[in-house]
Amino acid sequence: MSIQSFLSLYRPRYIRSLIYMLQTSEYDVGDFTAWYLRTRDFSSVERRRKIAWTPKATLFAVALWALVGIVAYILLTFLFLGGAFLVLLAPILLLLPFVLAVALAGFAILFAGVQSIVEQFYMRRAALRLSRMKAFKIAIAGSFGKTTMREILKAVLAESKRVAAPPHSYNTPLSISRFVGSLKGDEEVLIFELGEYYPGDVRKLCEMIKPDLGIVTGVNEAHLEKFGDLEETAETIFELADYLNDKPLYVNGESEMAWKHAPEHAIIYSCAGSGDWKAAHTKTDLSGLSFSFQREGEDIAVRSKLLGVHNVGPLSAAIHVAKRLGLPNTAIEAGLSKTKAFEHRMQARAEGGIVIIDDSYNGNPDGARAAITFLAGLSAKRRFYITPGFVEMGARSEVVHRELGRELALSGIEHIVLIQNSVTGHIESGLAGANYHGKILHFPDMPQALSALKHVTTPGDVVLIQNDWPDQYA
Amino acid sequence: MRNVAVIFGGRSAEHDVSIITAHIPVIETLLAGRKYDVVPIYISRAGVWYSDSAMNNLEYFKEDFEPKLRRLKPLQLSFEKGLEIIEPGIFGKKKKIDIVFPTMHGTYGEDGSLPGLLRMANVPFVGCDLSASAVAMDKAFTKQILSAEGILVVPFVWFTKSEWEADNKRILEQIARLKSPRFVKPVHLGSSIAITKVKSEAELVNAIEVALHYDDKALVEESVEDLIEVTLPIIGNNEPRAAEVEHALNKTEVFDFNEKYLSGGKKSVGGVNRAYSEIPANIGEEVTSKVKEMGKQVYRILGCTGIARVDFLIDGKTKKIFVNEVNTLPGSLYHHNWRKAGVSNMELIEELIRLAEERFASQKNTTFTFKSDILKKVGGPKIGA
Repeated sequence: MSIQSFLSLYRPRYIRSLIYMLQTSEYDVGDFTAWYLRTRDFSSVERRRKIAWTPKATLFAVALWALVGIVAYILLTFLFLGGAFLVLLAPILLLLPFVLAVALAGFAILFAGVQSIVEQFYMRRAALRLSRMKAFKIAIAGSFGKTTMREILKAVLAESKRVAAPPHSYNTPLSISRFVGSLKGDEEVLIFELGEYYPGDVRKLCEMIKPDLGIVTGVNEAHLEKFGDLEETAETIFELADYLNDKPLYVNGESEMAWKHAPEHAIIYSCAGSGDWKAAHTKTDLSGLSFSFQREGEDIAVRSKLLGVHNVGPLSAAIHVAKRLGLPNTAIEAGLSKTKAFEHRMQARAEGGIVIIDDSYNGNPDGARAAITFLAGLSAKRRFYITPGFVEMGARSEVVHRELGRELALSGIEHIVLIQNSVTGHIESGLAGANYHGKILHFPDMPQALSALKHVTTPGDVVLIQNDWPDQYA
Repeated sequence: MRNVAVIFGGRSAEHDVSIITAHIPVIETLLAGRKYDVVPIYISRAGVWYSDSAMNNLEYFKEDFEPKLRRLKPLQLSFEKGLEIIEPGIFGKKKKIDIVFPTMHGTYGEDGSLPGLLRMANVPFVGCDLSASAVAMDKAFTKQILSAEGILVVPFVWFTKSEWEADNKRILEQIARLKSPRFVKPVHLGSSIAITKVKSEAELVNAIEVALHYDDKALVEESVEDLIEVTLPIIGNNEPRAAEVEHALNKTEVFDFNEKYLSGGKKSVGGVNRAYSEIPANIGEEVTSKVKEMGKQVYRILGCTGIARVDFLIDGKTKKIFVNEVNTLPGSLYHHNWRKAGVSNMELIEELIRLAEERFASQKNTTFTFKSDILKKVGGPKIGA
């Protein structure tokens, strides 16, 4: 341990760092502990984001400072001991940082206990309120693509219905309950994302929401570290299907693990269409995506500002749902034209002649495959793909990252920029295994890679930023 | 990691510009590439050498940095094993420099002085070598050599300060044979310092006095009317490669220092480059390819290596192309132009380093010494008799 890292334990910022780490670990004591044990220098843990002073974080900060105050008070009262006091002082000072960390973990566990009781109460209240509303309730579950699906549905259905959905990525019981409390009561369609962190999560949310229709956007290795294996992930996600029983269920046909688990009556959607509707004449470039959605005697012209063929499936599912809810074709077309990229998801912008596609919230293999396909299909001067890889891939990490390397090698993308971490070697061996001929650049972290970008690009280049690891995985 | 020393500042009117070129793009790009250890070497206006890793950041030089320099000890150099810098202090730790990236414009840098020093030190360095630098630094030499090789240059008259002082009447007679309006230029200075366009005899004498205030040699040349001023950055050793032909879109008659470098209040995001230029120049395919061909010829004639920029004057009516001057260290390496030509900063810097090493290796294979018995014969019957 260097002197600098030792001193970082005694800086006032240490407490803030601890709370930041707990917050970024989503208050998971296990994750927090692992990160804590790995960290040497506590003065630089806040790199990508800043601490958000939520009431919860503030409460923890107050508690820790109070603890420091108590220790200081006790020490001061012992000052009269003189020499003996000094003997006491050293071990107390040495242990203090660790005591603070343990205390914070203790607070977090205690808080979680209280929270679950409060949660039960709010969930029951939200469930009651929802059951009295007439709104048509749509639930979206899956390892990836939930927010995209939600936003597409919202844009399309909002053309002729009053639609509401929780903001941001609110998909936990408590945040959904809070959202339900904020509703006016006259909404016609409600759209929910169901977060899946542990087995039983989806069922619990279904029981609260009681959805009338479900959409499974896919199953893959996202959050695998917490589930252990893919089968268990699939089962948790398909708790939605179990709950819906014979009510309509849409399943993404492009996700192998999803359609394998789909019940017989499920409507499969993909880039080819959904149900008896077919997608044809699909075109995509930096300006967006277009295709015609056809069935006997009907033709819907789809024009979206979303980038990439992988959006054809979700758009198809949304049109199918809109038809089911009785929207006229003209309204559907108008709604579709309003769909556009969301913050940090295949969001293109131009910077000094260079196109940057920000896909930094895309942290899963299926999303990366879609991004690679899109980038490879673009005619640009040179194409750059920046990735740190994916987190929480568990035992599948090596396989998944080798595959990422292989796909990148086969794509013909000219430059691969790797953000160095534990999986970099796997991506490289995938690249080498498929004889990648382009250039590989390495950077220790994303901020450095982004600031170097202007030195490696020239006007006419396209740069895609796929995934940005949160601090706890760096 | 290998060490790259970037040398900048210097005893030159272009001291400040040099600091910018050193950082944008050279140091910034080298740091981003993370392949080399970047050793910034700053030479003060008084000619004292300093090095401090904090100098890798341009911010260091933005405020008054004299007090910071006073706290630093000057750097010492050793040529014992190539180029080594000796860090000041009791232990005097030596650091071997593997390659030098000189970014010193004007006198003591671009004029060949620094390349000469680096040749003596036996270390590979980026950019033109001593002879090309020295010739290109003198606008009169450049014109003389180029016109001897059949390259079109504008008619001109040159003279030294002492000649002017001794017999300005004769010189004025020579100048009278040149068509008016004319340009008066100091031959050694860059960045358009002390250049004047004169339309009358009264202005002429005054302009010459100004030019000779800054330099000991001056030239007067005919001006090109309907002027299209273009410039062409070139890199390479034996196989020169041209960037895009660039047209400066400034309407004033001539760039002065402020316009060229401190242009229009626009913060120089792109280093020391002109704020308004057209890349590639809209001068038609035929003229463009002629300019590129001439540029490469000039590069070869002067023996340029690494990088240089050739400036042209095109007569808009007759489409005659004159070579105006050659610059062996274009401001900020003209990286804005190279980027338009599809060469990123990283590729440009890496290529320049490769070219430096290539030239160094080929010089190693050239024999510069041979044994003779001439010394033995000293004092003998013939020699020194």
